[in-house]
Amino acid sequence: MIETLLTPLEYDYMLKAIAVSGLIGGVCAFLSCFITLKGWSLMGDALSHSVVPGVAVAYALGWPFAAGAFGTGLLAAAGMAFVKTKTRLREDAVIGVVFTAFFALGLFLISIRPSSVDLRTIVFGNILGISDPDIVQVAIISGVTLAVLGLKWRDLRLFCFDANQARAIGLNVTVLHYMLLTLLSATAVAALQTVGACLVVAMLVTPGATAYLLTDRFERMIGLATAMGVGTSLAGAYASYFFDGSTGGCIVTLQSLLFILALIFAPKHGLRAARRRRRVAAHDFALEGGTRPPDAFSGLKQTRPEAGFHP
Amino acid sequence: MSTPSPIELQVNDVTVSYANGMVALRDASFRLTGGAICGLVGVNGSGKSTLFKAIMDFVRPARGTVLIGGRPVRAALKANLVAYVPQAEEVDWTFPVSVWDVVLMGRYGYMNFLRRPGAEDRSIAEESLARVGMLDFRERQIGELSGGQKKRVFLARALAQRSRVILLDEPFTGVDVTTETTIIELLRELRAAGHLMLVSTHNLGSVPEFCDQVVLINRTVLAAGPTEEVFTEANLARAFGGVLRHFRFDESTVQKHDGKAVTLLTDDERPLVFGKDGHLEYSRRAGHEQVVEQRAETEDDK
Repeated sequence: MIETLLTPLEYDYMLKAIAVSGLIGGVCAFLSCFITLKGWSLMGDALSHSVVPGVAVAYALGWPFAAGAFGTGLLAAAGMAFVKTKTRLREDAVIGVVFTAFFALGLFLISIRPSSVDLRTIVFGNILGISDPDIVQVAIISGVTLAVLGLKWRDLRLFCFDANQARAIGLNVTVLHYMLLTLLSATAVAALQTVGACLVVAMLVTPGATAYLLTDRFERMIGLATAMGVGTSLAGAYASYFFDGSTGGCIVTLQSLLFILALIFAPKHGLRAARRRRRVAAHDFALEGGTRPPDAFSGLKQTRPEAGFHP
Repeated sequence: MSTPSPIELQVNDVTVSYANGMVALRDASFRLTGGAICGLVGVNGSGKSTLFKAIMDFVRPARGTVLIGGRPVRAALKANLVAYVPQAEEVDWTFPVSVWDVVLMGRYGYMNFLRRPGAEDRSIAEESLARVGMLDFRERQIGELSGGQKKRVFLARALAQRSRVILLDEPFTGVDVTTETTIIELLRELRAAGHLMLVSTHNLGSVPEFCDQVVLINRTVLAAGPTEEVFTEANLARAFGGVLRHFRFDESTVQKHDGKAVTLLTDDERPLVFGKDGHLEYSRRAGHEQVVEQRAETEDDK
């Protein structure tokens, strides 16, 4: 029994896959706290698809894949910003138009040069076949991202929470904006290797969303999200050996399961807690025969206000 | 907090236009000196928010300058000269931060690269929370507070920032009477300490209660100066056009036998009352003896 469980660890490629998945899972999860709170989840999805043409070109020309991917990722971000400011289109339409344009171009480029890189690798990831140079690139991206987040998380938290205050105390909000955007592109590129373009957004959103349901403290949210990201990625990569299934699919399925558990059982923001609160409120209401306590629902997360400045 | 020289806010011929060609503010000029609470009054879309944005470097004026303590806006912000208390609608109340986290954010400008709070930052943050009576709530997530408590937390953040100029955006919207009194008390203390508060409000009746200066705007500065000079019926009619509702005692069912013993009741907004010449009437004589005396003399002269 034990022997069977240890079999995956006897293979070099499995050890690499598990370790790299864990690293990327942790970095993505750390970043996911900022992305979900800033409301950039859709942006994460867009960037992860926009890097595809860059990867295709980079492989065709023999460049490091990260360079190409990063290039088209930022190009897409700039494109979205440009179209948004110059037209009257709503943001979701702009994101939808721009990222699919990039993704389609990527698919097209790969299909006409099928020898350079496998389409399946990009769309679904191929962590089991990751090459050593690619591991180095992923390690560098992860190291830089962790360093920046570790040093500047308080500034980035303020930027996500209250950009006006950040500006009022003299911080350069534009720099913070591009810092977060760059980190998002970089991690999207790294995660592409593990789970593929289609599922990158899950790695960049789900752990943060799950942790958000579990706590009201930012520091704890980062801790929980990162732990879940690392845990599910290690376990998912390991388990995929036995199922002989997609590594990315396995990791993201695990993350989604944790999300569902949190959604139902979270002590304060879960469905059960909300139902309990409603019952208590109704009970009190009946007892008092009077007005409902005003904060009966205050524990529930409410809708976010529109970001911006409206004096 | 002793103040060597009073802080000054100068807005000189500021014109702001947006990308769509709309001119939000034209040739706006006024000058305020520290030790004052100034009401910024105007209808929606009159340029109140644009003026705030110009003072906080969110928009660049096409023409004109804003000087805070003699420095351009950006340098003034870097020197922590300006604090801002946002409107409740602008804040994401579900964000996972505690009251304590929010107040410490007011200290970021004084902290090092890593924004690690030092002993001084902590003691100032604590003192600021105590000053608004919110020290007991420091561990609460901000969404779990009442409307008035939320407002006080952000006021504490502005206090922790130790800025000489404080901008308050509609501070009395959605707050209870106790909080309103607390805020007004606090603003008066800050005024005594030489701070300059600029308060945007649409609640006209509250202006004479706590503002000693008023800037009336409608796409430009219509009038600026001491409250009793600026807050006249004629000026308000210019600022608000036909949007104000009137209750005229001479046309009402109030009769002679009611004398002056008529009680005005409003819901949460204070009433604004003008005398027969269109001059401002305060709700209490205390503190305005000079105005009363002066008017009595003018009346006698007639």
